[in-house]
Amino acid sequence: MKLKHLLAGVAVIALGALLTACSGGGSKTSSSNNSSGKTLTVWCWDETYNTKAMQDAIASYKKANGKQKVKIVTMAQDDIVQKLNTGLASGNNKGLPNIVLIEDYRIQGYLTSYPDAFSDLSNIVKKDDFSSYKVAAGTKGGKRYGVPFDSGVAGLFYRTDILKKAGYSDADMQNITWDKFVQIAKDVKSKTGTYMMTQDPSDLGLLRIMMQSAGSWYYKSNGKTVNLANNQVLKDGLKVYKELMTDGTVEKVSGWDAGVAAVQKGKVATAPTGSWYSSTIQGAKDQSGKWRIAPIPRLSGDDSVNASSIGGAGWYVLKGSGNVAGAKDFLKKTFASDPKLMNTIAKDIGAVASLKSALKQPNYQAEYPFYSNQKVFNDLLTWAKKVPEVNYGSGTYQIEDVLKDPVSAIVKGANVDSTLKDAQTQAEAAVKNQ
Amino acid sequence: MKDNLARRKNRMGWGFFSPSVILISVMVFIPMIYALFTSFMAGPPVNMHWVGLQNYQAMFSDKTFLTAASNTFLYLIVQVPIMLFLAMIISVMLNDNRLKFRGLYRTAIFLPCITSLVSYSLIMKTIFAPTGIANKLLMDVHLIGAPIQWLTDPFWAKVLIIISITWRWTGYNMIFFLSGLQNIDTEIYEAAEIDGASRWKQFTRITIPMLKPIILFTAITSTIGTLQLFDEVNNITKGGPGNATTTLSQYIYNLSYKYTPNFGYATAISFVVVIAIVVLSLIQLKAGGEDK
Repeated sequence: MKLKHLLAGVAVIALGALLTACSGGGSKTSSSNNSSGKTLTVWCWDETYNTKAMQDAIASYKKANGKQKVKIVTMAQDDIVQKLNTGLASGNNKGLPNIVLIEDYRIQGYLTSYPDAFSDLSNIVKKDDFSSYKVAAGTKGGKRYGVPFDSGVAGLFYRTDILKKAGYSDADMQNITWDKFVQIAKDVKSKTGTYMMTQDPSDLGLLRIMMQSAGSWYYKSNGKTVNLANNQVLKDGLKVYKELMTDGTVEKVSGWDAGVAAVQKGKVATAPTGSWYSSTIQGAKDQSGKWRIAPIPRLSGDDSVNASSIGGAGWYVLKGSGNVAGAKDFLKKTFASDPKLMNTIAKDIGAVASLKSALKQPNYQAEYPFYSNQKVFNDLLTWAKKVPEVNYGSGTYQIEDVLKDPVSAIVKGANVDSTLKDAQTQAEAAVKNQ
Repeated sequence: MKDNLARRKNRMGWGFFSPSVILISVMVFIPMIYALFTSFMAGPPVNMHWVGLQNYQAMFSDKTFLTAASNTFLYLIVQVPIMLFLAMIISVMLNDNRLKFRGLYRTAIFLPCITSLVSYSLIMKTIFAPTGIANKLLMDVHLIGAPIQWLTDPFWAKVLIIISITWRWTGYNMIFFLSGLQNIDTEIYEAAEIDGASRWKQFTRITIPMLKPIILFTAITSTIGTLQLFDEVNNITKGGPGNATTTLSQYIYNLSYKYTPNFGYATAISFVVVIAIVVLSLIQLKAGGEDK
């Protein structure tokens, strides 16, 4: 009988322990903040890109501040997102990094869901030092939480040889509208047989580029009100999108790799996308000297400018992992202020900085033979200054998933107004609980 | 004395089964109950509040959920019968003593299900790319004039998913049917042959009824597997084009990790999947096992 009691006791204790572990979400775990000087851990994705940039930063930081150790853990972005969510949601800070790279589209969601998890970096991130839209992405309630990293500034990568065959010079490609782009696409297809670009019907990045060029988004500027129905910019963007998807000038592909393959095999004439695509394009060494980058096209009305952004990320400091001061000092002396580091990064991975002072650096003023001796870094960073600020809100990807089917319905001929109105209702329900 | 022995035996019994009871409670039952509570809550993960049945009600007007649910049930209704029928036919053919190299065929057909889910998905994606080998073959034999957009057309993308999971899992189910067939006495077939029953009649009147328990078992496990379908869809089409191939499991994953997390809603959908599995299994048991 005694054993029974004992076992019952053990069971109760186990149960109790588990319940406290489960309810840990509400209570603050007492994390050790006295661990200053300890090794800093950084999480980021993409070995050849972000990790490389971080390694450059660590090398330059170590020169001046010998002691601090910094460790990089590289994993897929999906895994970082998942680990952060489970870690922060359970309130268990063990195993979370000190510094983490978060995509601009996602950060508002984190800042909303876990308001106490991130350290306020306002005093190390000077607003005027960076492209303004990059600072806006990581700002909430007037506080700046992120050190902007790579600029997602958009450009129209194009093949000079193919466009020449279709009758367009480099001057013809500068500061065009999307209507003009559609026209050029038709000429390229009919005169050269080449597709203008590839498009994955499940990836609405093109619409995002169009919206931000006019300062619009899936959300209104408060980041809370869903902005699909009666969004004139979105409607104008959809008109262009529908034309591109139906007039046979665009090759439809599925997935990222298929788009990359098309570019590298020389099967498309242009790629309207983010500056980070540059290294991918340069993978096709045989096409050196055949590419240039023009400003991204603008929408005809809507105060749209020939500058936009897609993707891009920033560095964030997690409070609960300790050594906040060390992490802040590291970022302050590297990504938040060092144009020389940006110069090195530009050379190593081709990332366009968000830091304005990088513009004067030698690699930013250099001419690149691959891009027909264009000063591509100079041009991209110059366009980045003009990119309108938008509030990405906390549910960009969620709204976009809701919007995918309506967009393909619109491409097939559905009424734009009523379809967007339905999508608005759906999206509102989807992001209601955030 | 006797009392003492009984008590000691009793004690031994407790000792043996209590570790597993405690472990299964801590690892499975308590999280399940906790999840059930979570499914009645909403809000950001660190600050969830009770909302009653709101999560369950929201599903009825959530088009993404309805699309995911109808896709999942479409896979179930179309794919499971095709797969089980194929598995049965193949196993009957392989069970024929006159067939040579049976072991080789058996291995070949079983092999797909030991390949990694991700790598076979990627291979399927390559085979069915617009310029892939599938389109090339079909065009070479003049079955189609233009390449089929397997990955970007909503209809063909679903067909591709069904083809993929059928390829992967038919061999797995075939093994169960083979073992079932080995338990059927050959004398029954001999008697049937003497009575003049054709091969087809033997198949429908003897083989299928004798395999009934196996059919029931494979139907239930396949139903569960299909309702939890995730890997193939996530790797081949990512749920696209649009949401045309997305499944409930993928939606649950997206709600928890891809979007700003909404664990309440995600667990509510998980419970709907559980209920669907229970109901479907009960129906199958009722329909397939009444003579037991």
